[in-house]
Amino acid sequence: MTSYLFQRLAGTLPVLLLISFLVFSLIHAAPGDPTLLLLGEETNAAEIAKAKERWGLDQPLYVQYLKFVRAAAAGDFGKSFKYAEPVINVIKTRLPATIELAVFAIIIASLLAIPLGVWAGAKPNSWIDNLGTTFGLFGISMPSFWLAIMLILLLAGVLNLLPTSGRSTYGIAGPEQTGFYLFDSIMQKNWSAVWDGLTHIFLPALALGMNMLGILMRVTRSSILEVMNEDYIQTARAKGLREKNVVWRHVTSNALIPVITVVGLELGTLLSGSIIVETVFAWPGSGSLLITALNARDYPLVTGIVMTYTLAFVAINLIIDGLYAVVDPRIRY
Amino acid sequence: MVFMQSLTLESATEKSVVWPRLLPRLHVKAFTGGVIVLVFIIIGIIGPSIAPFDPNKQELTAMMKPPAGIGAPHSLGTDNLGRDILSRIIHGSRVSLLVAFAVVFVSGFIGIALGAISGYFGGKVDFLIQKLVEVVWAFPPLLLGITIMAFLGQGLFNLILALVVQRWIPYCRVVRGQTLSLRNRDFVTAAQCLGASNRQIITRHIIPNLIQTSLVIGTFAMASSIIAEASLSFLGVGVPPEIPTWGTMLADARIYISTAWWLPLFPGLCIFVTVLGINLLGDALRDLLDPRLKRTGAKI
Amino acid sequence: MITTRRFLTTLTAVTCILGGTLTVQAQSRVSIGVTETIETHNPYGDSVSLQYGIYSEVTGPFCTYSYAKGDFEGRLAERWKVENPTTWIFFLSKNYKFNDGTTVTADDVVHSLMNRVIGDPQSKQKASVAPSIVKAEALDKFTVKVTTDKPTAPLLSFLCDRLIVTSKAAFDKYGRDAADREHMMGGGPYQLKELIPGQRLVLQKRPDHPDAKKHPNAPDEVIYRIMREPEQRVTAFLNDEIQIAQFIPPHMRQRIEKNPKLRIAPVDSVEIMFLAMQPKPPFDKKEVRQAVCHAINRDQIIATLLEGFASRLDGPIGPGQYGYDPNLKPKMNYDPEQSKKLLAQAGYANGVDVELQTPVGRYTLDKQLTEAMIPMLNAAGFRARLLTPEWATLWANVQKGTVPFYYMGRGSVQDPSAALHQYFHTGETPRIGYSNPKLDELLDKEQQEFDTKKRRQYLSQAMSILTDDAPACFLWRHKLLWGLNSRIDYKPLPDARIYAIDMAVKK
Repeated sequence: MTSYLFQRLAGTLPVLLLISFLVFSLIHAAPGDPTLLLLGEETNAAEIAKAKERWGLDQPLYVQYLKFVRAAAAGDFGKSFKYAEPVINVIKTRLPATIELAVFAIIIASLLAIPLGVWAGAKPNSWIDNLGTTFGLFGISMPSFWLAIMLILLLAGVLNLLPTSGRSTYGIAGPEQTGFYLFDSIMQKNWSAVWDGLTHIFLPALALGMNMLGILMRVTRSSILEVMNEDYIQTARAKGLREKNVVWRHVTSNALIPVITVVGLELGTLLSGSIIVETVFAWPGSGSLLITALNARDYPLVTGIVMTYTLAFVAINLIIDGLYAVVDPRIRY
Repeated sequence: MVFMQSLTLESATEKSVVWPRLLPRLHVKAFTGGVIVLVFIIIGIIGPSIAPFDPNKQELTAMMKPPAGIGAPHSLGTDNLGRDILSRIIHGSRVSLLVAFAVVFVSGFIGIALGAISGYFGGKVDFLIQKLVEVVWAFPPLLLGITIMAFLGQGLFNLILALVVQRWIPYCRVVRGQTLSLRNRDFVTAAQCLGASNRQIITRHIIPNLIQTSLVIGTFAMASSIIAEASLSFLGVGVPPEIPTWGTMLADARIYISTAWWLPLFPGLCIFVTVLGINLLGDALRDLLDPRLKRTGAKI
Repeated sequence: MITTRRFLTTLTAVTCILGGTLTVQAQSRVSIGVTETIETHNPYGDSVSLQYGIYSEVTGPFCTYSYAKGDFEGRLAERWKVENPTTWIFFLSKNYKFNDGTTVTADDVVHSLMNRVIGDPQSKQKASVAPSIVKAEALDKFTVKVTTDKPTAPLLSFLCDRLIVTSKAAFDKYGRDAADREHMMGGGPYQLKELIPGQRLVLQKRPDHPDAKKHPNAPDEVIYRIMREPEQRVTAFLNDEIQIAQFIPPHMRQRIEKNPKLRIAPVDSVEIMFLAMQPKPPFDKKEVRQAVCHAINRDQIIATLLEGFASRLDGPIGPGQYGYDPNLKPKMNYDPEQSKKLLAQAGYANGVDVELQTPVGRYTLDKQLTEAMIPMLNAAGFRARLLTPEWATLWANVQKGTVPFYYMGRGSVQDPSAALHQYFHTGETPRIGYSNPKLDELLDKEQQEFDTKKRRQYLSQAMSILTDDAPACFLWRHKLLWGLNSRIDYKPLPDARIYAIDMAVKK
């Protein structure tokens, strides 16, 4: 098991290297020039030349790449052009917001999707199943920017229940400690800040989670369908247990393993799905940062964020593979 | 991009005969989905001849006219440039579906071919292809779309390319897994003994067995391409404005939601209904193809 | 579903309670919904208009342009004089104090200009704030001498509302990054309380500041919140989540006017919108360029798409901008028949292919407006196509000079000098690549002329040549619509600056 994990870790290194090469060449190949985008309307050739030299853009591309790899191997992704700060620091200040949003999206999606899925799976092809499936498909069948604006207009506009954007109201929260706004507020027992945070996170998390809701619902449903027909469930039924108990106690507990896997896998997709949702909701996370960086052609920052995302993606996949073995003893590596 | 995880979980498919089972017992989801998709395909094909106006014809003096009802000249109203919304939707269905189908076929072709090769030959080829899969899949999908569109410039073909780049992967992964198990089956061994070449075995014996699963993946890929086209339009890297698509219509109309609801409603509804239809079809196909459900006689 | 509903009911209850407690606070707070905010803690680290505006407020504007007077007005620099064409003397006010109580002196100004704007490699403002400044020195504690490498008549238009003056002492004590991040010292009426890039920025009034004393009703706290989607800004505005909303699209104004507590304030923007044409085929022929200008029905576009919220430009600038001449000739009226004739003269009787490029979502209705121009161009004998590349691509290409035909705006044109030089003077930038020795001569003379009457004459002659030779078609200036809550008394400015000190909150 341990040796397998080591093997996998070693195997990811070339993948990461390849990805870094791809990001680097893609972003440099895209038209646009950070000096022209960042130096303002009235800039001139001399200023541009100076900035190019300072940012190392006057060197051949392969030299730039080799320098990047060497520094990145030591954990240094360079300095952002726009923020003039180490890329790592910029990402560090923005990542907690994205993680917080993703976690909430997962919670909202699971809370809605799992009961719906169990219900639909327990009574396949009933009207409940059809209705549930359609509802589950609801989120997948809409572009997220559209869903986000509709949610704002409905829940913030017509019903006037929630704020339209942002992560918090100014002046309610205590000092920042971990960067996780809700976590910090809970730790400080600042309940009005917790509530304020919840009202702000609800809409973006819902907009982000709708997609996952659909997937989770479908996986839960088919997983339930499968387990329902296993022999031990028939036995439980034969013992005369009530159908409700059979479904909730025996079926669900067994059917949830693949569901959990999907939740883990979807975390990677959520991270990148947050790009649009964060932009619309002015959520100060890494997704909106990526768009800002991309619009300024801030090469080090774009590369840094994408590398962070891929690292997270690779790590999650590793963890899940490990979990498989723990959960299902039949799997051996 | 997301549909594939759920598929890999239940990827073991055997040869099965779907259609005869489907037809006698009317499957609600498959039927609804099928009808929706069929209707839009027909509109897409005969569209230009039934559209009442040129979709790009502007009339600034008649802008933002609310829907006038069936039979009136602008039955679904006009947009912010006085263009006929119905005509734009009809033309848009052609483009949106064309993009979706092209993406599905191209990525399906690449994915199935690479997956089959990867699974059948194994070894170094398999290793290389799987590394490629890992690398491309780990990329944030929208970012890839934006950079490719920025690099290549606007255009229908470039859009399709930008969408294909990642969408072949689900096919490749699932097909590889299936090929691995098919490779050792009796009929393949038999073909090998009879002296069939690798190419013949792959094209005649392996790939035909993969079509059904690929069909399921294809439906989901189609749905997600339509959505992705809209998202790219929102981020400002869609197709050029002279090509009406549902995605650009919706993205452009998002500032009129509260003032002229008919502008966003109709393209939004088209995307929603079509994607819903395709997804329903895909869901139904998956139910039908899942061998374990069949074995235990679950009703479909 | 049931759980959701219950959740929402509780939600309403608690929001009500929270809302109740908030209004009890005596502090007046104004939230402003804007489309972009400051992203960096370094006041010199970015070069966007909002950045200059907000930091000018925090550090006290060096001087400011008053639209009421049509001239520049002293602030930190109370007055100034031009000693000779390359030397300016600025006399500072003695009343401006940093947050720690120390007085703002000539040393701080010199340090800000030489070590931060010009000298610091992280500065992105040199070309915008101090293009020709070579030296600044303190003559005494409150007098600064500024030397330029060539006579620069419009020097004030670079320094006013742009030069940010920060504390030299804080810089020396804490170092650049810590000084900007944790010890942001400004001599202005507001101080920076919080900056969360991508979300919001908070300013707090300094009640003891001389400007704040003059404006006792200015808000105690100002919160800039990013809201990119117009529907979102309007929703937040209607809900009183924000009290001022930037850039309301014309068609949404009725939603706001329905509410008696809210109003719309239209402002003539000083941003000039134009179609630029590079003098390469087919635009190398003057007739083709003129044909484009005659083809666009500006009045119709303004009346329909913009619902009247724009003013037509006859020439590069309009009323209220420095050097405007109401009698400027020629005027490029809407005349598609004339366009066809001109095209035929140029040898394109059978039409010619052109590709117009436009940014999307950067200017008011940019994509819609250019979409409407396409059939107009086609009716005048062109075969036009519209392209909508992503902004980073378009802007970089424009600056490199590889876009032949584009729709663009140039903001902060109180004085057109910088803008005209930038786009039309030979060799200044490759954005259009236009070259006309007669125009160059006039623009050079204008920049070195300190006699305002003569300077206006030169400018007027230059603009007449530009309109006739048409390297660009000047289209309109938008009327920007601001949403204002009636609790706030404020007159929005024609540029992107927002000065909270000029707001009055009704008690």
